[in-house]
Amino acid sequence: MDLFRGTLDILILRTLLAGPAHGFAIAQSIARRSDGVLLVEEGSLYPALRRLEDRDQIAAAWGTTTNQRRARFYSLTPRGRRHLAAETSRWAELVAAIARVQETTP
Amino acid sequence: MNWRNVFHRTAADRELQNEIETHIAEATDYYVSQGMPLDAAQRLARLRFGNPRAHREQVNDMHRLPFFDILGRDLRIAVRRLRQAPGFSAAVILTLALAVGATSAVFSLADRLLLAPLPVPQPDRLMVVGYQRVTPSGEFVVPAVDGAMFAAVRDRARTIDTAAANLGTRGVNFVLDRTPSFVQNQLVGDGFFRVIGVTPHIGREFEPAETESGGPAVAILSFRFWQRVFQGRRDALGQTILLRGEPYTVVGVMPDTLKGFLDADVWTPLQPPGQGLNYEAVARLKDNVTADQANAELATLGNEPFRMLRPPAEGVTRSLTLLPLHDVTSANARDPIVMLGWAVSAVLLIACVNIAALLLARGGSRTKEIATRMALGSGRAAVIRQLMIESFVLAIVGGTLGVIIGYGALEALKSLGGTTFSDWQRVTLNARTVAVTLGLSALTSLVFGLLPAWQTSRIDVNQALAAGGSRAIAGGSRHLARRLLVIAEVALGVVMLVAAGLLLRQFASLQRLDPGFSPARLYTVSASLQDTRYRDAANVQRLFTDSLERLNRTPGIESAAISQRLPYERLLNMAFAIEGRAIVNERVPIASVSYVTPSFFETFSIPIAAGRSVDARDTAAMPRVAVVNETFARIYFPNDTALGKRLIFGKTPVEITGVSRDVQQFGAGFFVTGMKRSPIATSPTIYFPAAQTDSDLFSWFAPVWTVRAASASAAAEAFARSINAADPLLPLESVRSMSEVVGASLATPRLMMTLVGALAAAALILAAIGIHGLITHVVSERTREFGIRLALGASAGRLVRDVAASGVALAAIGAAAGAALSFPATKLVEAFLTELTRRDTTTYAGVAVVLFAVAAVASVLPALRVVRLDPSRTLRQ
Repeated sequence: MDLFRGTLDILILRTLLAGPAHGFAIAQSIARRSDGVLLVEEGSLYPALRRLEDRDQIAAAWGTTTNQRRARFYSLTPRGRRHLAAETSRWAELVAAIARVQETTP
Repeated sequence: MNWRNVFHRTAADRELQNEIETHIAEATDYYVSQGMPLDAAQRLARLRFGNPRAHREQVNDMHRLPFFDILGRDLRIAVRRLRQAPGFSAAVILTLALAVGATSAVFSLADRLLLAPLPVPQPDRLMVVGYQRVTPSGEFVVPAVDGAMFAAVRDRARTIDTAAANLGTRGVNFVLDRTPSFVQNQLVGDGFFRVIGVTPHIGREFEPAETESGGPAVAILSFRFWQRVFQGRRDALGQTILLRGEPYTVVGVMPDTLKGFLDADVWTPLQPPGQGLNYEAVARLKDNVTADQANAELATLGNEPFRMLRPPAEGVTRSLTLLPLHDVTSANARDPIVMLGWAVSAVLLIACVNIAALLLARGGSRTKEIATRMALGSGRAAVIRQLMIESFVLAIVGGTLGVIIGYGALEALKSLGGTTFSDWQRVTLNARTVAVTLGLSALTSLVFGLLPAWQTSRIDVNQALAAGGSRAIAGGSRHLARRLLVIAEVALGVVMLVAAGLLLRQFASLQRLDPGFSPARLYTVSASLQDTRYRDAANVQRLFTDSLERLNRTPGIESAAISQRLPYERLLNMAFAIEGRAIVNERVPIASVSYVTPSFFETFSIPIAAGRSVDARDTAAMPRVAVVNETFARIYFPNDTALGKRLIFGKTPVEITGVSRDVQQFGAGFFVTGMKRSPIATSPTIYFPAAQTDSDLFSWFAPVWTVRAASASAAAEAFARSINAADPLLPLESVRSMSEVVGASLATPRLMMTLVGALAAAALILAAIGIHGLITHVVSERTREFGIRLALGASAGRLVRDVAASGVALAAIGAAAGAALSFPATKLVEAFLTELTRRDTTTYAGVAVVLFAVAAVASVLPALRVVRLDPSRTLRQ
């Protein structure tokens, strides 16, 4: 299933709410929490991560994985947190609106 | 945007690559930990990741500066495209370079000579007092005043600060360490430098007491002269220099900035101005005064300024008026530069038309390429951008080349201008000019590049691709715009050719004038008598007699004479009265004058038509006599013989004893009915015997010795020996042959003819390029059609005729339009025409012949390609 433009950004930010994570961990988390419905090429995470970095919504630092590999760990910045909050409420409004439309049978 | 990533793209990319490797390794570990075999885990990890390269590129793209990257790519494509069409590119670049080069050279001249401010503070507030006469036949202003006018303005005008100067400079003798040389001397009144706003480098300027008559002999040196004589030593002040044989005390040195504005070597005091309009009154407007207010004040001076003049005739009013100094100093350069400016603009316009036509054709022939690009997803904006960038590249290359050509052209102009337009030597290509011309070239090609870009971007992709190429389409209305441009180009070219043709015919007829004397083997030299020893006329006579005697004794010298000036030079003018005739309507008789020694007419081989020549009898003790020329006799004694008539100069009667044949002189500087208005003409002339000449006539011009001798070297040796024997301290100028003198007098018409001729040739070449390009294009577009026609049995000759005829037809329409346009346009040239009118049919006929020859060649050459067509190959293509 295609992801709406910007949806991937929200999923990443949402994942990082739990704490810093490296690329594969983020991919794993998204796949697990969407029950495999939102399957994307894991590689497409990286353009999105760079984009979020450029927008100063996440920050990155080199760290070590549980398997003792050097990896970049991403964490939410205050700006990213604010953006996520705003997007979440907008998303909720949108979902509510769609739900109302579907309830009104002609 | 993360700027670090923009500039360190490779480092960022490496980081990303590491990160991706970690990701795949972590994923593999994860799948292995879920119980997968290692190779399957690795495969799944890579599969889930997707193409790492694609993802990396996507990241990299985010970190580019899209504008510069796209520009760089477009530039590369543009250069490649242009190199694929070398003919087109060369035509456009050369057209631009030619136009920009010519424009920048002439703009630099105009800018420096007409627009550049004088090197003084607030130059726009500097004026010259002009003497204005309004008569029923027109308004006349001269930027010169006499003593009374100057005194009235200086003493009574409160709105301006005024000082006097002598018009121009004169060569005087200067002796340093017993070596005589010529220096240029200008006489200036007190306050002159204050008025123009220049403070002396050291010392001071003249004080009022020094400009009284009989005041002390003091001098101000130019910066360069000071360097030359005193090596820049400050103790030069108070020292004496030997000018015209008299000691002058140095009181000041002027700064170097005056160079090019006041070109004197040394200034000496001008004693109070006297009679005659021989003085320049410079005036600076005082603060908060406008030129109008100052003129209004001059009008209140009434009749006082005109005390020295005779009362005006009925209906004539006289006044003083202020003229901007800059207009006065650049007046001589104005006509040639204005005309050149127009000629260059015309060439530039033709060039633009040519470029427009070339770009239009290129846009047309690229339809298919552009359609392909658009079908592959290129946006309309991208196509337009690409075409614009191509134009821009052409403009930059052409403009740069143009600036280089401009440098060359300016140097060529300067050497052509030579000594006639010595002002030009100071001119260099200036930054403003280069900016203007570069801007112009960029604008030209961008504007004309836009038109085809816009046209081609409206292509219907499907239609253009489905049309199967343009080779089968004949003609097409899209050529209409191009045809019109070619017609316009030819029309402008005709205007240029007519102008150049008129100047050429003018020059030719000036050269064909009967000189009135025989210039062969005549050599001349002059020497200044600006020296105290020659203030006494007797000393001048002694010098003349002594040197002529020695010259006549020299073997190889056939004949020798001295005169004030030469044929083909400008003579002095003098007003006079005719005995027994009243002056009617303020029409004072006036004529050119020159003094001559008795052998003058014989040396120059000027026949005496009636009466006798000047001879040894006419000494200072004898009654005054004169020889007049035939033009004089015809104008002043139309129904009667001039012989025996008496002319009155002041109070002195002079009897006409002979009438000589006419010789050509340079512009008389006055006009009376019956004269020809021409730069070279026979003016009414009076020749006085040198022996009867007043001493003040000797100071006006340096006298000229002329010999008819076997060779130039023999003449030079004879001059040096004979004149130096008569006076060892007399510096001689260089020896010139009489043909050089004649050549110099024709320098201005020759220069104008050459310049406009060169520009007309450029215009003709550009028009030929235009026609050639159009026909070439038509032939290449219709190759397939011609192939079919040839295969069906049409003769190649017939096809060539058909194609070429359309080029000649365009030229004919253009020529007709140009001829109609020429008549009003050549009004600019009219000022330079005296020997013919601008309706001159010979010129028009000549232009028509040249134009048709060129149009025919430009049309037939590309049309001949048809002959080389191989029908079988053409059809298969």
